[in-house]
Amino acid sequence: MGHSKHIALHVVLGFIAVLTMTPFVFVLNNSFRSNTEQYHAFFGLPNVLKDATALVGPALRNDTKLIRIEDESGDTFEGTAREAFLYYVGQAFRGYKMAWKQVRPYMLNSFIVCLSAAACVLFFGSLTAYVLSRYKFPGSKAIFYFVIGPMMFPAVLTLVPSFLLVKQLGLLNSYWAMILPYIAGGQMFAIFIFKGFFDGLPEDLFEAARIDGASHLQMYWQIVLPLSKPIISVVLIMNILGNWNNFLWPFVTNSDGTHHVIASGLYVIARSTLNPDFSTLFAAYLISSVPLLLMFIYATKPFIQGVTSGHSKLKKIQP
Amino acid sequence: MNRLGHRTRYMLNCYVLVATTVVLLSLFVYTPVIWAFTKSMYEFEVGGASRFVGFRHYKEFLTRDLVTWPALAHMFFLTCFAVCVRLSIPLVVAKLIHSLPSERSRYIYRIIFLIPIVVPGVAIQLIWGSMIYSETGFINQFLSAIGLPGLARGWLSNPHTALLAIAFIGFPFVGGFEVLIYYAGLSGIPESVNEAALLEGCVGIRKFFRIDIPMVMSQLKLVLILTIIGGLQGYENILILTRGGPGFKTTVPGLWMYLNAFSFQRMGYACSIGVCLFILIFGLTFLNFKYFRSAEELKEN
Repeated sequence: MGHSKHIALHVVLGFIAVLTMTPFVFVLNNSFRSNTEQYHAFFGLPNVLKDATALVGPALRNDTKLIRIEDESGDTFEGTAREAFLYYVGQAFRGYKMAWKQVRPYMLNSFIVCLSAAACVLFFGSLTAYVLSRYKFPGSKAIFYFVIGPMMFPAVLTLVPSFLLVKQLGLLNSYWAMILPYIAGGQMFAIFIFKGFFDGLPEDLFEAARIDGASHLQMYWQIVLPLSKPIISVVLIMNILGNWNNFLWPFVTNSDGTHHVIASGLYVIARSTLNPDFSTLFAAYLISSVPLLLMFIYATKPFIQGVTSGHSKLKKIQP
Repeated sequence: MNRLGHRTRYMLNCYVLVATTVVLLSLFVYTPVIWAFTKSMYEFEVGGASRFVGFRHYKEFLTRDLVTWPALAHMFFLTCFAVCVRLSIPLVVAKLIHSLPSERSRYIYRIIFLIPIVVPGVAIQLIWGSMIYSETGFINQFLSAIGLPGLARGWLSNPHTALLAIAFIGFPFVGGFEVLIYYAGLSGIPESVNEAALLEGCVGIRKFFRIDIPMVMSQLKLVLILTIIGGLQGYENILILTRGGPGFKTTVPGLWMYLNAFSFQRMGYACSIGVCLFILIFGLTFLNFKYFRSAEELKEN
């Protein structure tokens, strides 16, 4: 009885998992198929797959008989089985090659913006949180509330005036239009989380360090930071996740399209033509998912923490 | 150096270290917040000159603008829909995962349902728009494959289905953080409570409603508030997919603000819409902070 119940659980969960994954599986499948193929049979497997597997045997035997291939556009290819096989592999990844050409500058911009913003948020955020947490000086409490207070202002309130401000500062169509507001906005959370963590560090540690003659910055660098590695990775991941996915802000601040990041770039690619090449488009979606996928695989635990802590979702209510 | 000088220098160091943060926040966070209120009182003319109009924009938005009330209705529909699905389906899935006997398979399912998070939100919207809802997309192909080609339509371009199609993006609504939040809540239920329930013969569906749901109430409240706030100010997906069309069938206030600002160049009017939405969201953000803390406290205990 218990066993069959568990099988039923797996069936239900498996079905929901399949439903969740269906769009992505189709994107993956159709990223290897030309528009014509997709038009004729939406649910089919890539033709290339069949053609290439048929050539595996001859290619391994190193068949020298020439094979002639004619593609949709009428171009022809002629070569040995091995060359034909490689030709098909090349054809299969044609969408990826084209997509990479288009998304590469956007990916680069995303990396520049996200990494520099994250680095500054970590540096300034942890430093400020450390000072506010371990040192008492007039106004320290007020500064803390000054920092976390704006979390209550939703992005919908500040989008237009932020745009006007960045425009007035002459920062439109530059990295600074994204990096500076991201640093400012990201720090609120970073400081909120860091201060909570630093407050919990035992005072004895600092007492001992002071007796050993450590300077204030030494304590920050050699005690606080090493102890905070787990929370640093959570803050880092939340920050990168939020900025990487931010579409609206890069989209409105890059009117000339020179500094689009991956999120706004994907939209530009998808909307730039009425008849998009779907394999290229789908390949671009998948390529754009790789960096976060790698981050997810490399740092699964802090990633899950970052997502569930609730803080990350609070981020939605500010720029 | 005397004692006071030392103290002053110490304080000065503290202020210098936090200065960058304070300056950046003042410029890029506080200035826009203040401007949102002040600029909403001005009419911006093309060419840069602006003219003070007082509360006229607010009056226009609330009484004269024909888009306002339909947009609010769409927003409430989408928000209610999101609340219904985000509070139910992920909770059931989390419960199912939590009922699995082996730690390994529970972990694997949690990972599976989290993976869609790595795909950029824009890509998700575009995938739904181009691959699932379009004329030659998944749903229509599926309908003709099962012999119902008559039901096929452009789901996002048809005025009767556009709003519902927007609401259904992300079906079955489990690829995200909610499952994990509920799962954490279910894992946090003390073993003594589970044992007592078992002794009393409270198992299965009854336990789910009598024990599990009350015990994850703070997580439910957290997701409720976040979903409402997200629903009131979310319009990215609509901007990407329909830009409010067909007609104004999928326009929501946030999108109307965006269009006024960046398509019609009515920055002042857009600011006033933003302020109105802010006032609506403000109370909810307040609640959010309250419940957000209670969820955190529960985790610590």
